[in-house]
Amino acid sequence: MRPLGAPGAPLARSTVFAPLDQLGRAEAVVRRLRDAITVGLLADGEPLPAEADLADLLGVATVTIREALVTLRSEGLVDTRRGRGGGSFVRHPVGVGLAAQRERLRSLTLAEIRDVGDHYTAIAGAAARLAAERSSPAEVEAVRDGLDGVSSAGPGGLHRVERAFHLEVAAATQSARLTRSEVLLQGEIGMLLWLAPDMDGAVGPARAAHGAILDAVRDADAARARALTEAHVQEAVERLAELRLAESDGR
Amino acid sequence: MGGEYGVPGVGPGTGAVMNADAAGARAAAVALAQSVHEVVERLFADLEPLRVAVEDLYVALPRPRAADLAQLRDVIGTTLAAAPDLVVGAGHVPAGDALADRTRWLEWWTVTSGPPPRRLLPDAGPSEEHLDYTRQPWFTVPARTGARHVTGPYVDYFCTDDYTLTLTVPVRREGRFVGVVGSDVSVANVERLVLPRLRALGPRAALVNDRGRVVVSTSVREATGSIVRSPDVAASWHDDDGPVIRCGDFPLGVLRTREHFPGS
Repeated sequence: MRPLGAPGAPLARSTVFAPLDQLGRAEAVVRRLRDAITVGLLADGEPLPAEADLADLLGVATVTIREALVTLRSEGLVDTRRGRGGGSFVRHPVGVGLAAQRERLRSLTLAEIRDVGDHYTAIAGAAARLAAERSSPAEVEAVRDGLDGVSSAGPGGLHRVERAFHLEVAAATQSARLTRSEVLLQGEIGMLLWLAPDMDGAVGPARAAHGAILDAVRDADAARARALTEAHVQEAVERLAELRLAESDGR
Repeated sequence: MGGEYGVPGVGPGTGAVMNADAAGARAAAVALAQSVHEVVERLFADLEPLRVAVEDLYVALPRPRAADLAQLRDVIGTTLAAAPDLVVGAGHVPAGDALADRTRWLEWWTVTSGPPPRRLLPDAGPSEEHLDYTRQPWFTVPARTGARHVTGPYVDYFCTDDYTLTLTVPVRREGRFVGVVGSDVSVANVERLVLPRLRALGPRAALVNDRGRVVVSTSVREATGSIVRSPDVAASWHDDDGPVIRCGDFPLGVLRTREHFPGS
């Protein structure tokens, strides 16, 4: 382990000495606004409330809002215009397809992909096991019907279908913490994880895998639900690692 | 617990109830179910001023803008303050066509991180379809039936981000459904209120919903959120001599199993 102040650890060091409360809060603000924007709760081009009003609404300091907006601007999700009629405006991601995500993918190492993959596999697998133990067959069928209604159209289709599926399974555990972990991980890696070179071709197999997992949950077969889920997530992690490798070839 | 929402009656030192004969135990369970019924009725009564305020707002402004709902801030605050030991969120959620400038809006305020109330900017669901709360039971059931509804217990990833019971009441203007008003009750708070009296009922007593989902249980093997599979609560829900004593017409009941109440 490297000592705190050693060269090569400037980020860790600055993080350590950042004011604790505000640090977590800026991240929380980013997460909320990012999620609200990417799923369309906040419309494209919509003006965000003024910084002071946002701070008031979310119960954080104005400086925290400013910090969060810097992050959102760097992610291209917010546009800030100066002068008359200025302010911060929502920008919908122009495409959640491979092209739009390439920059982010290049910034990830294979080690990071493996690491977040392990974390996500653990969470999703445990969620499937508990969901199988704690769901009634009727509830599983209600989830299945709900998921059938989730459109897979457009470039973000696979992501939308996967995200809905995993969130429903997480909520079926009846565990608020597991559900929060699921949402957090989805926010962190979901968009990349559910990318596929052939988006249209990927949705069918994904829905089939979800169907098999839901069958196991309905049958209260916890071991099978877990194994199928782990294999399903692992497949996505490997696909992402393949994409990352291909990126490095292209440079 | 405490305040006017405290469940009256049996407190510590209730060994006499635990050891009482089956009829006495049943009477204690009936009394608890009655208390829960009264508390939930009271929570719905607390929503009435908010329902009226929302109704008035839609009469004054047939198609209000989202910003107009800020007028509800005070009455929502009053609703939250009426039962601080139970309620962690409250507000109004409009129907898709009720507002002039939005198809989705949550005028919902929470005290999950302590007072003062904060307006909820929901952590996003997985997709537009899921953010579309017209699929959420706390919205769909009152919209469809025209009657009040208790949803849960469930992980409310939409609003409180916690294990929750949600009470909702439909709001109408000239007979047309314009949305719901409601409150979120944290399951942790219900537990604080109910557990002492459940303990007095015996080693395997629980507050469950009509699907058999545990809200509070005295059995560690039937933890919060699990489904009681034996007895089959859903199947015997309407059976007056069954294992569950219903809390009025709410989908909540006190579970007492025959094995622990022999002869009942």
